Amino acid sequence: MLLQILVNGILMGGLYALMAIGMSLIWGVMNIINIAHGSFIMLGAFTTYWLFAILGMDPFVSLAFSIALLFALGYGVQRYLINYVIRASAFITLILAFGIEIFINNAALVSWTADIRKVQVAYGAANFSLGNYVTIPTIRVVAFLLVIVISIAFFYILNRTNLGRSIRATSQDLDAARLVGVDVAKTYAITFGLGVGAAGAAGTLWSILFPISPIMGGELTLKSFVVVIIGGLGSMLGPIIGGLALGITEAFGTNWFGSTYGNLISFTILVLVLIIRPKGILGGAD
Amino acid sequence: MLLDIKELNVGYGDIQVLWDINLQVKEGQVVALVGANGAGKSTLLKTISGLLKPYNGSIIFQGEDITSMPSKEIVAKGIIQVPEGRRLFPGMTVEENLMMGAFRRKESKNIKPELAKVYKIFPRLKERRQQKTGSLSGGEQQMCAFARGLMGNPKLIIIDEMSLGLAPLIVDDLIDNVKEINRQGTSVLLVEQDVQLALDNSHYGYVLSTGKVQMQGNSLELLRNQEIKEIYLGL
Ligand SMILES: Nc1ncnc2c1ncn2[C@@H]1O[C@H](COP(=O)(O)OP(=O)(O)OP(=O)(O)O)[C@@H](O)[C@H]1O
Ligand SMILES: [Mg+2]
Repeated sequence: MLLQILVNGILMGGLYALMAIGMSLIWGVMNIINIAHGSFIMLGAFTTYWLFAILGMDPFVSLAFSIALLFALGYGVQRYLINYVIRASAFITLILAFGIEIFINNAALVSWTADIRKVQVAYGAANFSLGNYVTIPTIRVVAFLLVIVISIAFFYILNRTNLGRSIRATSQDLDAARLVGVDVAKTYAITFGLGVGAAGAAGTLWSILFPISPIMGGELTLKSFVVVIIGGLGSMLGPIIGGLALGITEAFGTNWFGSTYGNLISFTILVLVLIIRPKGILGGAD
Repeated sequence: MLLDIKELNVGYGDIQVLWDINLQVKEGQVVALVGANGAGKSTLLKTISGLLKPYNGSIIFQGEDITSMPSKEIVAKGIIQVPEGRRLFPGMTVEENLMMGAFRRKESKNIKPELAKVYKIFPRLKERRQQKTGSLSGGEQQMCAFARGLMGNPKLIIIDEMSLGLAPLIVDDLIDNVKEINRQGTSVLLVEQDVQLALDNSHYGYVLSTGKVQMQGNSLELLRNQEIKEIYLGL
């Protein structure tokens, strides 16, 4: 029983980690707390939903479309909107992100109504057992494996490519990056694109596992925010640790106190982490 | 003429810092730019590298007006700055910092030969190449900043306050490196508060005082100049 809860928590934690990776990247590199992050996750979820509903495209295939579409959207939003206030205070960019969130949510509400929708794939109910005690939905395992693959791809891009080095250089010393010839505006736009693209991936996986609606974004932003804070900024392992920590505690918490307490548990963890380790579990590391 | 700065006026917002600056670097030269704290040396360098836009005036490099170019293009043209305070990327290893130095080069796919060349000049960096730059000594950090600049394949390398905070022996080594680079054909703009050091190791010198070029001339002549002796050399 405990093992089952633990497994559920880990599988959920993987998704939380993927949700938070993009937010953490954008926050760490550009010092923008992207309030609209959850709305981008929602758009990723609906991309997959519509491709499934209209074209019958398998969600694991539409994942690629969702990432690409959201990358392009993120790139554009940064380049042609946020870029104009990037030198302003963090407060101004926060307000702008808030505006973007309201815009996306309302556009989605108007276009798609507030109906709750589901991506009903044929294999959705398949599961398998480990020993006699643990039953695992196959689709969650596949989603979890994809989270790992996407995270590794992310790590690879940031650590092993010229693009990734230029992103890290820009976040570590803006003027020094300019002086070696980094195109900072472009780097910011790509970073935002990558962060929002990761949100798109998270949205696709979310839509496979849970019902979706245009107003789901707010809660997902909060969850991502909690994960980033728990894991600590400035480290790419942060969101993974934070995601797993949140997933596991939530799993045990809702088991003991009931599922209505899910958010309360998240925020209790957030407050505890802020008190005990204000810079997050991995805070200060790199 | 490699670099030709004409009637340059620069400031931060409304506060003007540089007035009618004229400065030239000829091909193959080491040119010293000296002056007290706050004279505006770094401001001039930021303007050359495109980090700061001048009010007016022009900066010509190899006959081409680069005054309003973005820094990435200025870097690609071969003007590389080693900034004041090293400004290494603290979260990166020595080698990653060096690789960043080659960021603008078209052939940056294969920079192994350049790395090898730079490691030959600075063997200490090779030993420490997997180390984060935060754990280097001040001298090693300056070497790394210098080496990162060289990775950009400069035609003109601009070095701001290289000697600051370093032991004289290390400064001597670094100056030897600068001269060697110059012998191999790279022109140098050497910016220093240490007037003696800069004039001892350059062909030509400019003295900047509260934002204006106060004096200029062959470095040897400047060293013998009575005014300079009194104000800057404390003789
Ligand atoms: N970002 C800035 N905003 C406003 N004023 C600035 C800025 N940077 C420098 N200044 C001012 O410009 C003037 C020249 O500064 P600058 O850094 O160019 O001097 P410097 O000759 O390089 O001095 P040092 O030898 O101390 O490095 C100083 O009065 C300084 O206060
Ligand atoms: Mg200076």
